[in-house]
Amino acid sequence: MWSDTFLIVFISICTALLGEGLTWLLVYRTEKYQKLKVEIEKSSKKLEKRKEAHGDSVDKQQKKKIERVEEKLKINNRDLSMVKMKSMFAIGFAFTALLSMFNNIFDGRVVARLPFTPIPWVQGLSHRNLTGDNYTECSFIFLYILCTMSIRQNIQKLLGFAPSRMVNKQNGSLFGPQPQQFK
Amino acid sequence: MSKIAEKKIHHQNSIWKTIKKATTKNSEWPDKDEFLDVIYWARQIIGLIAGLLWGLIPLKGLFGLGLFLVLNAVVLYAYFTNFQQIDEEEFGGTWELTKEGFVTSLAGFLVMWIIIYSGMHFD
Repeated sequence: MWSDTFLIVFISICTALLGEGLTWLLVYRTEKYQKLKVEIEKSSKKLEKRKEAHGDSVDKQQKKKIERVEEKLKINNRDLSMVKMKSMFAIGFAFTALLSMFNNIFDGRVVARLPFTPIPWVQGLSHRNLTGDNYTECSFIFLYILCTMSIRQNIQKLLGFAPSRMVNKQNGSLFGPQPQQFK
Repeated sequence: MSKIAEKKIHHQNSIWKTIKKATTKNSEWPDKDEFLDVIYWARQIIGLIAGLLWGLIPLKGLFGLGLFLVLNAVVLYAYFTNFQQIDEEEFGGTWELTKEGFVTSLAGFLVMWIIIYSGMHFD
């Protein structure tokens, strides 16, 4: 089982690096992305400061100013998603093809044993394409998804590509940045 | 010296400085992101170490999972309230600090736990 599990970790490191590399090529290095990123960070900081200073005040002028910055931030965030979208499509296609190839290679193979029995709605994933009803047997896809969740996020963070906390906070996401793809 | 090399050295220095600060009691954290990064990476390390231990012992089932979740939350809570004694409100409250890197650390823990458990106790 060592060889299968290590192979899966290796595969997910490679796909994470490939994904980040492609995104860098198509998005991160472009001038438009960098400009938008700087702008979003600037206005997020500005908004945070304004809100801290005048959070509870009923001053109409301040409220209007805050609203204006919020509106600008929204537009910038939308533009940023549009810039990212193009590469997401390309990466999505590439990864769907790769994943189906790996799925064929590991089809019906028990790659690991789980030290716990997953809850029913995870069993569809953790026992995918496996026969029998021993639900502690783990399929390729389950381990791959877990690896990707952990490795991709950490690689993004190490390379400095992870979105900043301030931006996430303004966007109101609950668990911070999630890897955009499991495919 | 090239600019890139200079940048690299500067980066390494700042990492060492942060580690030193993180292991010193009651450090000052004017840069909030720096402290949140410390919490983030501490969580990842705890996840990997716990996964390794849980797999070797081996701990199983809901007990193993629950113990990790509690340990992860409690250790970091003790770290920022007792060891660093920061004002949680400055960072958006205890919840904000507790969820920093939690999901990623859980994923890392599960991967490590599953791999070591499978490798050591099955063939």
